Amino acid sequence: MEHVIIIGGGGTGAALTHDLSLRGFEVSLFEKGGLVSGTTGRHHGLLHSGARYAVHDPGAARECARENAILRTIAPGAIEQNGGLFVAIDDADVAYARDLIDHCRRCDVPVREIALSHALTIEPALTPDIRYVLEVSDATVDAWRLPLQFFATARAAGAAIHQFSEVTGILRSGDCVTGVRVRDHRRQIDHDVTGDVVVNAAGAWAGLVSGLAGIPLSIQPAPGAMVSLKGRLTDRVINRLHRPGEGDIIVPQRNCTILGTSIWHSDDPDSYDVPPEDVERLIAACAVMVPSIRDAAVHAAWSAVRPLMGTGDTDLWQASRDFKCYDHAVTDNLEGLVSVIGGKATTMRSMAEETADLICRKTGRDIPCRTATEKLLNYRLFYRIES
Amino acid sequence: MKGRHIIFRILRYREAIIDPPQFQDFELTVTGTMTVLECLERIRREQDPSLMYRKSCHHASCGTCACVINGTERLACVTTVFALDTPVVTVEPLRGFPCIGDLAVDMTAFYRHISSDWSYLTGVSRNDGSGALRFEDCIECGACVSACPVMEREDAFMGPAALALIHREIEKSPDGKESLLALAGGPHGEQWCERALDCSRVCPSGVYPARHIALLRKMLGK
Repeated sequence: MEHVIIIGGGGTGAALTHDLSLRGFEVSLFEKGGLVSGTTGRHHGLLHSGARYAVHDPGAARECARENAILRTIAPGAIEQNGGLFVAIDDADVAYARDLIDHCRRCDVPVREIALSHALTIEPALTPDIRYVLEVSDATVDAWRLPLQFFATARAAGAAIHQFSEVTGILRSGDCVTGVRVRDHRRQIDHDVTGDVVVNAAGAWAGLVSGLAGIPLSIQPAPGAMVSLKGRLTDRVINRLHRPGEGDIIVPQRNCTILGTSIWHSDDPDSYDVPPEDVERLIAACAVMVPSIRDAAVHAAWSAVRPLMGTGDTDLWQASRDFKCYDHAVTDNLEGLVSVIGGKATTMRSMAEETADLICRKTGRDIPCRTATEKLLNYRLFYRIES
Repeated sequence: MKGRHIIFRILRYREAIIDPPQFQDFELTVTGTMTVLECLERIRREQDPSLMYRKSCHHASCGTCACVINGTERLACVTTVFALDTPVVTVEPLRGFPCIGDLAVDMTAFYRHISSDWSYLTGVSRNDGSGALRFEDCIECGACVSACPVMEREDAFMGPAALALIHREIEKSPDGKESLLALAGGPHGEQWCERALDCSRVCPSGVYPARHIALLRKMLGK
């Protein structure tokens, strides 16, 4: 079978390594740092129901709803199946509720109105000022262990997963990509690896990788800050029932509570600044929904860089969270290179499916995807399987 | 914001290249609530792109960035530099694990006595009486194993994390109690523990492995 080289060991690379291995390809993955050391690991851990995107980004909403159900089935060990609420606090929120419900139904996102008294019983930390509450199928996912389950399963199927191995060059023969040059940080040597297809799955870093092949890729790295508070203040995920914006997601996990998020433009995917004013604003905005947030101690504050498709949106909150696969033979007359950009942690598996479908078409293989039903191995097996 | 010059004394290692390991100093201006992990990121970015360390979540959930900071096992992501209050911050890899480069260790040995059948989730009852599943508190970072004085010299000992997980598994699945207790009381089990309590002292997640070991001993009639 063809040898596929994947660049980037985040969620997309993990799911793609698994998908291609399952279809029988020979797969080698290269990650410049440790596994899941980019955006995926740092996300807030919300397995989206899709409701957040239903009004302005229906494609992403449908995808989230579908993937949410699939991941619960194939990786139950990496998910707290706790559910989520959307809470309306003011008149504008209440007015938005009808719109949200309509759009959720159109996108097949399950949503259900619940009584205020019931909402306060099941989530007593909510402000008594709630005006309207919808229940959705959100969940808390372990942002490290879910991708590791994909890696464990892929490794068991024979995939070669290389950490601390940075792709520093794309090898070409005329208009065809033939492999990659890799800096092995462990052995401090450079070596070349040849392959039939190279996949750029570097997320927010995808523009830098495509640049190695001289191809511009429209990526908008868009960092956002998050805050982790000590103590679990709610059982479920709590969302503000309004147009998506800043400080409107509360994700409980273990014994902590994560607040998300802000957003800003950046040209640099390696920029990890955490503006202190963002931390203050997140706490203030989330405390409108759960007042005890104000009294909780901050355990950590960090940022993650979203890999937005650079569509030129001036309002980043309205930018699509959908994803795209590019066959650079079609877009740039360069054979052998594929890029997958955009997307979200919740949709890592479907991003992989679409990319693997494209690779099958390119290599003339007719092998169906099986990852929607194939249960993933426990993440601990990643360490027990010889590479 | 006023910055402070801090020296990060990092133990560098590369098999056959920097071998034995050597400390290397990096100077950095640190401000506000900067964590050791943020400083490592900055050093890798601005001073030495070959610096190796593990990290993922940045909020004490994944357990990958545990290392020995100023002599004590901690998570780099939630250790603020100013809280350490030393002009020199030493950073070393976890003890007792094979080092794959600088601060990055191979965690394979950590899982030698930890079954993949033991659930990472635990049941809780919620306010409306319904049940739900939560992640275990143990983030499997390896800090307790690194800190345990027995692990350093006794290869047979499964270590505090594995024993704590065995006890949690008995609590969750009483049906498997007999075989789990056999593991805890077996040749790799609690008999090696010297009650140093370092495991509980360094656990960044409030698991207190020593307490679980004591409860296992009680179940074993010891």
